Amino acid sequence: MAKTYDYLFKLLLIGDSGVGKTSILFRFSEDAFNISFISTIGIDFKIRTIDLDGKKVKLQIWDTAGQERFRTITTAYYRGSMGIMLVYDVTNEKSFENIKNWIRNIEENASADVEKMILGNKCDLEAKRQVSKERGEQLAVEYQIKFIETSAKDSLNVESAFYTLARDIKAKMEKKQKEASNPAGARSGGHQLRNEPQRKPTSWLSRCSLL
Amino acid sequence: MSRSSSLEDIPDQCKDLFTQDGVLLKACLGRPVTDLNSIGMLCIVQNPDQTKSIEWRPNDLITIDSDAQDQEWAVVNTIGITMSFAKGRRQRTLSGNITSDYATARARIIKISLDELKTFRVTRNNQQMQFSTKPGVWQTTFYFQHGNAEIFVAYLKNHIKTAKTRHDRNTYVVVEPNIESQVLNRSFAELDIFTENTTDVVWNLMSNLRQRPYETTMEAFSKLTDIVYYGNEGMNGKRDVSEEVADLLTKSMSAIEDSTTLTRTDEYEVISVKPTLPPRPSIPRGTPLSTEKWDGLQDTEGRVTEVEGVKQLIFRGGVAHSIRQSVWKYLLDYHPWHMTHAELRALTKKRTEEYFSMKLQWRSMTEGQEARFSEYRDRKSLVEKDVNRTDRTHPFYAGDNNPNLVILQDILMTYVMYNFDLGYVQGMSDILAPLLLLLGNEVDSFWCFVGFMDKIASNFDMDQAGMKLQLVQLQQLLLFASPELAQHLAQKDSGNMYFCFRWLLVWFKREFSYRDIMRLWEVLWTELPCANFHLLICVAILDAEKDILISKDYGFTEILKHVNDLSMCLDVDKILSTAEGIYHQVVSAPHLTDQIRVILGLPTLNISTSTHSESEQASTSKVENGTDRNERNMFGQDMDEGTLEYNGIQISIVTKTVWALLA
Repeated sequence: MAKTYDYLFKLLLIGDSGVGKTSILFRFSEDAFNISFISTIGIDFKIRTIDLDGKKVKLQIWDTAGQERFRTITTAYYRGSMGIMLVYDVTNEKSFENIKNWIRNIEENASADVEKMILGNKCDLEAKRQVSKERGEQLAVEYQIKFIETSAKDSLNVESAFYTLARDIKAKMEKKQKEASNPAGARSGGHQLRNEPQRKPTSWLSRCSLL
Repeated sequence: MSRSSSLEDIPDQCKDLFTQDGVLLKACLGRPVTDLNSIGMLCIVQNPDQTKSIEWRPNDLITIDSDAQDQEWAVVNTIGITMSFAKGRRQRTLSGNITSDYATARARIIKISLDELKTFRVTRNNQQMQFSTKPGVWQTTFYFQHGNAEIFVAYLKNHIKTAKTRHDRNTYVVVEPNIESQVLNRSFAELDIFTENTTDVVWNLMSNLRQRPYETTMEAFSKLTDIVYYGNEGMNGKRDVSEEVADLLTKSMSAIEDSTTLTRTDEYEVISVKPTLPPRPSIPRGTPLSTEKWDGLQDTEGRVTEVEGVKQLIFRGGVAHSIRQSVWKYLLDYHPWHMTHAELRALTKKRTEEYFSMKLQWRSMTEGQEARFSEYRDRKSLVEKDVNRTDRTHPFYAGDNNPNLVILQDILMTYVMYNFDLGYVQGMSDILAPLLLLLGNEVDSFWCFVGFMDKIASNFDMDQAGMKLQLVQLQQLLLFASPELAQHLAQKDSGNMYFCFRWLLVWFKREFSYRDIMRLWEVLWTELPCANFHLLICVAILDAEKDILISKDYGFTEILKHVNDLSMCLDVDKILSTAEGIYHQVVSAPHLTDQIRVILGLPTLNISTSTHSESEQASTSKVENGTDRNERNMFGQDMDEGTLEYNGIQISIVTKTVWALLA
């Protein structure tokens, strides 16, 4: 089979229960919204291939259960992620406060140079808002992480959020490739080509992490 | 900040149940060409009179400031205008200008009532969808620019019953929802596979099976699944022709499976020393425990004396739907088997009072108390979030302001007071929802929920120790019952079995329809034929997927995807039967290890292997580490030469390498 993409990026959605992680993913992967979502149990992922500056980038986006109790399981999936979306719900103060805990969680479990982004979801529910956009921006400045408010329901900024994260990963990867003096090193970046399949005995997780 | 949205204030007359963006209108009878080729949103909407329609709205009618989407870090336009149109439907937040010829625009909406929809078809690589309310004419054609129509079709199927036509696999016929018998007849007629009598069909199938086993089976099964599904919804306990055929098929399939297993083993020369399992017996499922039998099992005062007998019957065939309300209370340890009617009445009274006093505890909490009680608040907020997304597509929990959601919430909140330390954990609402649906009564549902939770409390441990233990045990069982698959999974970084997490956490609730999960649960509650039978259910499901997982060489992600996608595609009776067959294979295996015995709750013998039994007894620390020597053997690590008894013959286990091949 012909190669269908140039890069494979593994992304992860995390955040408190009910902030809309699955809805954001559904909006991005299917461009649809369903009012009767169910809570995520365990872990799942969806795929979408996007075009980024002429390159086909396959995004494999993992969706996790939000409740703290399940973190021991979900953190197993942090390793190997190249980008993480931290999601809170602008109508839920607690979910915003917890972003700090989620960041700590990432620091403990994900690779150090993982690209991060904060999403304030449900910004269509203006009447119920508890967290102002300014506070979201402040937090982002504090942690040096990009931030955007989204609405999965109204399809607002979801696309651009994923594109931005993907673009940042790509830029970081290409920078690393350039830095590597050995041109052969350029091929061992954080991507795997479709047409060189499971020959490698190393773990899938390590294949995907940035070197 | 001015409001960009007053969404909550608009009376919700029409409601979008599902929306799919990026849908191009390609053709529509009676519409001017200028209307065509515009992009819009295809929706499933609920009308004020509770009927449902498919609706397409052109984008220029509901334009979101599309530039905003592309600007990086675009500021959300907070001074947007909220427009409502089409009978006051809640609409998107608009940040563009609404054209004045709004009426003209409105006329461009296409609406197809689900009551009138006759057929639809999906073509062009699943990207094109056509609808018809009149036989022979495709009135509207849509093209899905983003992704494809699969998801839309899946959601549409939540609202209408469909059958695929015989001639064209891509065409769906909408089956009238009200008339059950018609449904069956029509699907049979349309599918055209029951024109002959049942036995002929099965024989034809059998003869085809010999020539084209795979295709024939898949074809037959896909047809049967449709019929069994559409024909039998809500017809509990009543067997009909399709079920019988399914049974026959299942039986013939297991015969075929057995024979292929034998051929398979021929491929490996090394098999002669491999401790293979005995052949898997094909054990037919029984009929559900009937009202008559159940009545007969109670003495004049209402005591159930033959408890083991009752459990056996339920294990074999489940419980007839009409008596589930009564029987489940026993199975879930709410009603003790030995109690008389009078004692049960007294118990019910006591439990009712107990329930309401616990309910009062949280109901009487003042706002101030709540504000100073963060642990309570956290639990409450989790419950609220999950109640609102529990089985909302099921009619019992569907719609806004559904009173059953309030009961669901009340029970879960009261459970928080009953067991505050455990509190609320995601998955609990999934466990409760079918109980409440069946029992219909708040107090009964609560106590049955308590009983169910007692059985699976370890699933919700704070440190997830119970879940981790089960995943390890599942891996050990699989290694014993289906070593080839276990080995494949281990090679693909899936040896931790995390992909079965959802199955175990909520006891397969997400994998089956309500009808099937009720059957599966009541069988599992009997705790027969052994401890942890639910793990053998996992093994049975996985074993059925073994060939796909291995032959396609699925890796870590594909395995997870494949397993997640099995949801709603599983046959509960077949799985129960297979799991029981595997149980018999395992327990009668001559090389059965103590490790497996412990998992299944059987007495241990400490003689699983002859050379190391003494050291095994002595070194308990190894067992505590979860790495007793059998497991290490199976993984081919730390392997000395040893012997194994198989069918009374001493077989020497050769070397590490051979074990690696075997395992």
